[in-house]
Amino acid sequence: MADKTEKQQQFPRFRLMARIEHIVLLVSFTVLSITGLPQKYIEAPFSETMIGWMGGIEAVRMIHRYAAFMLVTGSAFHLFTGAYRSLVKKERMRIMLRLSDARDLWDTIRHNLGFLPEPPKMPKFNFGEKIEYWAVIWGTAVMVITGFMLWNPIATTFILPGQIIPAALAAHGGEAVLAVLSILIWHMYNVLLKHRNFSIFTGSLPRHQMEEEHGLELERLETGGDPWPGMSLPVLQKRRRNFLIISVILSSLIMAVLVWLFTFEQTAITTIPRVTREVFVPLATAVP
Amino acid sequence: MSYLKLSRFLLGVVLAAAGLLFWWHLPVSAEVPQQAGDEACRLCHSDTNEVVTLPTGDEVPVQVDMAVLAQSAHGNMAESPLACSDCHQTINDYQYPHTDVTATTLREFQLEKSAECQRCHVQPHLTSHPGPEAENGVACVDCHGGHDVAPAADWQQPGATATCANCHNRSGVDLVDEAALTAVIQNGLFTNQTDSNYCLSCHSQPGLQVTFANGDTKSATIDADAFHSSVHGVDSERPLNCTNCHENHQYPHEPVTAESARAYSLEMYPLCANCHEPKYDQALDSTHQAALEDGNLDAAVCTDCHGAHDTPVPNEPRERISHTCEKCHSTIFNEYATSVHGDALLTEGNSDVPTCIDCHGVHNIGDPTTNLFRIRSPELCAGCHADEELMGKYDISTQVFDTYVADFHGSTVAIFEHQDPTVETNKAVCYDCHGVHNIQKPDDPQAGIKNNLLATCQQCHPDASANFPDSWTSHFEPSPQHNPLVYYVNLFYNIVIPLTVGFFAFMVSTDVYRRIRLSLK
Repeated sequence: MADKTEKQQQFPRFRLMARIEHIVLLVSFTVLSITGLPQKYIEAPFSETMIGWMGGIEAVRMIHRYAAFMLVTGSAFHLFTGAYRSLVKKERMRIMLRLSDARDLWDTIRHNLGFLPEPPKMPKFNFGEKIEYWAVIWGTAVMVITGFMLWNPIATTFILPGQIIPAALAAHGGEAVLAVLSILIWHMYNVLLKHRNFSIFTGSLPRHQMEEEHGLELERLETGGDPWPGMSLPVLQKRRRNFLIISVILSSLIMAVLVWLFTFEQTAITTIPRVTREVFVPLATAVP
Repeated sequence: MSYLKLSRFLLGVVLAAAGLLFWWHLPVSAEVPQQAGDEACRLCHSDTNEVVTLPTGDEVPVQVDMAVLAQSAHGNMAESPLACSDCHQTINDYQYPHTDVTATTLREFQLEKSAECQRCHVQPHLTSHPGPEAENGVACVDCHGGHDVAPAADWQQPGATATCANCHNRSGVDLVDEAALTAVIQNGLFTNQTDSNYCLSCHSQPGLQVTFANGDTKSATIDADAFHSSVHGVDSERPLNCTNCHENHQYPHEPVTAESARAYSLEMYPLCANCHEPKYDQALDSTHQAALEDGNLDAAVCTDCHGAHDTPVPNEPRERISHTCEKCHSTIFNEYATSVHGDALLTEGNSDVPTCIDCHGVHNIGDPTTNLFRIRSPELCAGCHADEELMGKYDISTQVFDTYVADFHGSTVAIFEHQDPTVETNKAVCYDCHGVHNIQKPDDPQAGIKNNLLATCQQCHPDASANFPDSWTSHFEPSPQHNPLVYYVNLFYNIVIPLTVGFFAFMVSTDVYRRIRLSLK
């Protein structure tokens, strides 16, 4: 790092797993949006064009379901790694919302409007990123639950009232619009327009961006703090073995549940065979 | 110039002018027919007892009754007088001594003389009588006589058919419908087309039959009243004569060549195209025509639906339309008759409900079993059910089509319709739930869809349970009354989305403001 200027100095930001999870989310979210929104706005002319490009409505629905499987798998993986880090490694969950985030939001607005000379010094995950993260968690939960209902309406209505299906469709569509608009406005502005922030791909962020958005974290790292503070290795190894056993059992269980869910029923049932009938049955009186 | 010379000159001019005027006013002399030799002929033929004896022993009198000739249609008092030699034209006929008569029989002699008539009457009027070449042929002179030929006006008299009756009685052939015959004669036999009454004077007799090669028989008796009151009848806008369709109008008719009664119908029906070509062409695209081309000879052609001779106005009364289809599709008609549409048509004469053709088309009736028909059928139903004026009369919702298209089934079908209308989709169309021909009111206590919703769903979703039918919004736009959960979910997102987007947009704009402010410093 010696040959780099101080400004360009890179600081560790995302673990490899987080970067992989993001790519899975990026791909599945994009595919789900492209295949989902034309279905919501099915009467729009451009929707039909897009559906045509993707091989017709039935193909679009299949792609949507494969992408959903990808999203659900990625989400389950995220829950596991999260559980591993919080339960096994006892890492502090720095993504949790804190009261200081509200203060940071307020200070940021004041700073942007020129009432505060210095921007607030923010932790590893600033308020904007936390809002976005929890929006993704909420949104994915809504989409997975309502999506399952739409995928398996007959199974769903064994337990729940029938009206849950059109309501799930409404929620699925509304949440999709909310998610896509949020990503386009908030996420795209912050990582592409405001400045190019590719740390989720490279894993590290240059000093000046750290300074601007994660002042507290920068201070901690520069004073020798561990990017991912954990616990001592020997205790960890024991706990890790236990977690591995539990997680293998749990994850195979979850995978089994996932496969069971996604093959639960065939809503698009095989076509009922056509009825053929004799149409030429002339009246007894002769046709003149 | 002297005075005298001037007066002489003036006199000459006046005389010349008077002469010119006189010449101009001379009457134009009438074209007197060249009656060459009439005087010479009359010299002998007006008063003689001579006869020509034919080889058969028949005698032909030589004397001509000059008084009768004078009164005849060709007498010298008539409109078109003829000279003897106009008819007796062979060169020797007016040279004396005449050459021998060549005819060997009296009949041969009569036929020879009849042939002379056709020199002027090049197109003798149409007649059902067998011509001279037939075994019992009738020649001109048989009815019209020779030197006593009657003027046309005489044939207009009521008793004129006595001539016919006499001959028929003599030869033992029944004379059909003498009154009709008189009318035909009075209407003029020299019209361009055969009057239908002329044909009907035979064809209205009961019991006439045509027998085909395969043994089929077909009645050749035409119900004259039905024909006359048909769309082609005498009082219609454009009446047709028999001969407009039946070109075989010489008598005796040429034998029918069709193998069977059906083959004859199939042979004849393209004649409709002579006048109704657009409709005929449309019918060429129909499923009936396709079946016909596949060898199904029962497939309907023009005359099967419209009739041949008794063609009524096809849609009057409106029930006639569906009853026409019933002739071949009786079981489907019976279903239709009990449906909400059919019942209203047949028992109330309702003019708003669809008849068969409103859904299936008229002449270019398509195959209703194709994917294309199925996929387009919702728009067919919407044609009436999205019409607010029409549905308003019966207090029926016009949201049915829009709510259908907004739903999973409808939007899939709509996409298929726009992209692959010939590809099969198993998503339900209107008639999969509501029935095809047996459509009932939704709230009918027995057969209505509302009381049979689960069974209706289970036609395609066999595992559906009691809750499942409620997942269909029953053509209602979500509201606090209908589908409230859907309504409130939509309401939630209608509030949350603008709030969220507004918050982000506010944050972005403050940040943009900061950057502009800092860069300006």
